[in-house]
Amino acid sequence: MSELSLTGVTKAFGGVQVIQGVDLSIEKGEFVVFVGPSGCGKSTLLRMIAGLETTSSGTIHIAGEDVTKAEPYDRHIAMVFQSYALYPHMTVAENMGFALRLQGVAAPERRALVTEAARILQIEPLLDRKPAHLSGGQRQRVAIGRAITRHPKVFLFDEPLSNLDAELRVQTRLEIARLHQALGATMIYVTHDQTEAMTLAHRIVVLRAGRIEQVGRPTDLYDDPDNLFVAGFIGSPKMNFLPVQASGPREITVAGQTLTLALSVPLPTGPLTLGLRPEHLSGEGPQVTLVAEVVEQLGQTSYAHGKIDGTPVIAEVRGHRPQVGEAIPLTLNPSRALVFGADGQRLR
Amino acid sequence: MSPERRTAWAFLAPSLVLIAIFRIAPLIWGAQLSLTDARGITPGAFIGLENYRELAFDPAFRDSISNTILLIATLPVWVCFPLLLAILIHQGVPGGRFYRATYFFPAILSSVIVGSIFNTLLRRDGAVNAALKLVGIAPTDWLGSSHTALLSLIAVQLWATFGMSLLIFLAGLSTVPQDMIEAARLDGARLRHLVWFIIIPALRPIIEFVAVVTTIGILTSMFGLIYVLTAGGPGTSTTLPEFLIWLELGKLNRPGYAAAISMVLFALMAGLAWAQIRIMQRNADV
Ligand SMILES: Nc1ncnc2c1ncn2[C@@H]1O[C@H](COP(=O)(O)OP(=O)(O)O)[C@@H](O)[C@H]1O
Ligand SMILES: [Mg+2]
Repeated sequence: MSELSLTGVTKAFGGVQVIQGVDLSIEKGEFVVFVGPSGCGKSTLLRMIAGLETTSSGTIHIAGEDVTKAEPYDRHIAMVFQSYALYPHMTVAENMGFALRLQGVAAPERRALVTEAARILQIEPLLDRKPAHLSGGQRQRVAIGRAITRHPKVFLFDEPLSNLDAELRVQTRLEIARLHQALGATMIYVTHDQTEAMTLAHRIVVLRAGRIEQVGRPTDLYDDPDNLFVAGFIGSPKMNFLPVQASGPREITVAGQTLTLALSVPLPTGPLTLGLRPEHLSGEGPQVTLVAEVVEQLGQTSYAHGKIDGTPVIAEVRGHRPQVGEAIPLTLNPSRALVFGADGQRLR
Repeated sequence: MSPERRTAWAFLAPSLVLIAIFRIAPLIWGAQLSLTDARGITPGAFIGLENYRELAFDPAFRDSISNTILLIATLPVWVCFPLLLAILIHQGVPGGRFYRATYFFPAILSSVIVGSIFNTLLRRDGAVNAALKLVGIAPTDWLGSSHTALLSLIAVQLWATFGMSLLIFLAGLSTVPQDMIEAARLDGARLRHLVWFIIIPALRPIIEFVAVVTTIGILTSMFGLIYVLTAGGPGTSTTLPEFLIWLELGKLNRPGYAAAISMVLFALMAGLAWAQIRIMQRNADV
C-alpha cells in the first residue's frame, strides 16, 4: 500500500482550473520531487496534500486513509515553507516544540525531543534564541527542525532553498538528502530548479499547467523523456532541438546529413523535431560543423553556442578549449538522438 | 546648522507653534487658574492649593473618580470584544464584509444622535424593555436607576465606538503572515490555539495601541452621551470628571475650581498614557 496516493485530483480557483486531474502514488520512504515552471501548480498540489487548500474533485489518501476532507492537523504531515514561517515571538525551542505542546506533551519530554531534533540539525546552540536573531540558513534549519520534531508520516517542502545564497543552497540540499537517508521518511519536495530535482529525487514528477507530463527516476527523465517539454526541462544546458523532416520510415535529414534511427514504429511524414543534448554531440555518426559565436568556459568543460541550419545549438566541448569563431566538428550521433512528432510526443 | 537640519526645523516649526499656542499655553494658563478662586469672568485671587483641598472633600468629585475607575476597569471588554469580532471576520465568517460595515456605522454618528436613539430604546416603556418582557424579564429603568445607569452608558458608548477598534484590528490582522498561520494549523493549532498562541502575540503592538487610544477616548469623549442620556445622574452615578468640569464651569460658574478638576484629569491621563507607553516600549524588542 502506498503512503500517499492522489486519484483524479483537480483544483479550480474560481473558474480557473489550476490542477487538471493528477494521479500519483508515492511509496513509504520515497523522496519525490515536483518540478515544473513557475505557476504550473506545484505549490497548489502540495498545499492540497497538506490540507491547506480544498480539493475540487478526486481523492487523497495518506497511509490508506481518505484525508481528502480532513483538516491539516489530522493528516500527520509537516511542511517546510519557502518563507520558513517561524513564530517570531517564540524561541527556537518553542518553535520546534509547538506541535508537541499542542498535543499536550509535558515540558521535559518536549525539551528532550526538541534537543534530539536540534542535534540532528546541529542547531543546539540556537535553541534559546528568537528567529529574528538567526541567519537565513539557520532559520531554514529551524523550520526543518520543527518538521522533524513531530515525526510526521510525510514531509512536504515548498521551495525551501530559494531564499538561500548559492553556496548555502548546495550545502542545505546535501543535508536534506542526508536527512532523508537518516530518517527514512517519505518526502515530497517542490522546486522549479531541475538541478535540485535531479540531485535529490528518487522520482521526479514533471508538472506543466496543472498536469503531470512525466513521472520517473531522474536518469529515466534525462535519458528517455516522453515529450519535448520534459526533454527541454530536464538537463542543463537545455537539449538542442532541430526541426527536421522524415526522409524514410526510419530516416531523417538534417543539415544535409541523413540519420538512420532505431525506431520501433515508422516515422510519420511532416515536420518533426530532433533532440540532441549538448553533451551528446560526439561519437559515431554524420559530421557537421558548428562555428562558435559565444563560448562559455567552465574550466573542466566549455559550451560553444552557434547555429546549425539557422537553429541555435549548444555543444559541450571537452578535451580542448574552443575559441570564438572556431569551427567545431560535431557528430549527430543517431544512438543519442531523440525524435518528437508534431504534437511534441516522443517517437520511439 | 546644516541645511538638512534647517529643513527639518522648517517642517516641524508650524506644528510646534500650533501645539505651543493651543496646547501648552492653555495648559499653563489652566494650571494658574486652578490656583485662584475665579468666579464667572472676574479673575480670582490666588488661593494656593485651596481648590485641590476642596476637591478632596467634594463628594461629587469623589464619585466621579470612582465612576472613572469603574469605567477603566471595563477596558479589557473594549479591547477584547472588537478583537474577537475582527478575528472572526478575518477568518472569513460568511457575511464578513456586511458585519464590518455595520459595526463601523455607529462610529460616524454624532454622540447626540446615538444618545437620542438610546434615550428612546432604553426608556422604561422603550424597545429594550419591551423585548425583555417577551422573554419574561421585568422592565428596568436602565438610565434612571443608579445601579444600571453607568453600565448602560458604557454599553452605549462601546456600541458606538468599537467599530473603529475593529477596523484597526482588521488592518493589523492583514499584516499577520498567512504562512505562519498555516504552519500553526499544520502543527495542530485549532482556532482557539491560533488566537491565543499566534494571532494575539503577533497583534500585541496593535492591541496596546488600541488600549491607549481607547483609554483616552473613554476619559475624554463620553461628554456628549452623558449630556444627552443622563446628565450625570441619577445623583452622581454617571458623573465623570469631564462632565463635572463642565458643570462647575458652565452651570456653577467656578472656572478656578473647574480648572483644578481639569488638572487632576490631565494628571490621571498622563499617568495612564505614560504607563501604557512604558509597557509598549518594553515589548518593542520582542
Ligand atoms: N489562492 C489562489 N487564488 C487564485 N489563483 C491561484 C491561487 N493560488 C494559486 N493560484 C494560481 O494557480 C496557479 C498555480 O500556482 P502555484 O501552485 O502557486 O504555482 P507554482 O508553485 O508551481 O509556481 C497560478 O496560475 C496561480 O496564479
Ligand atoms: Mg510555488
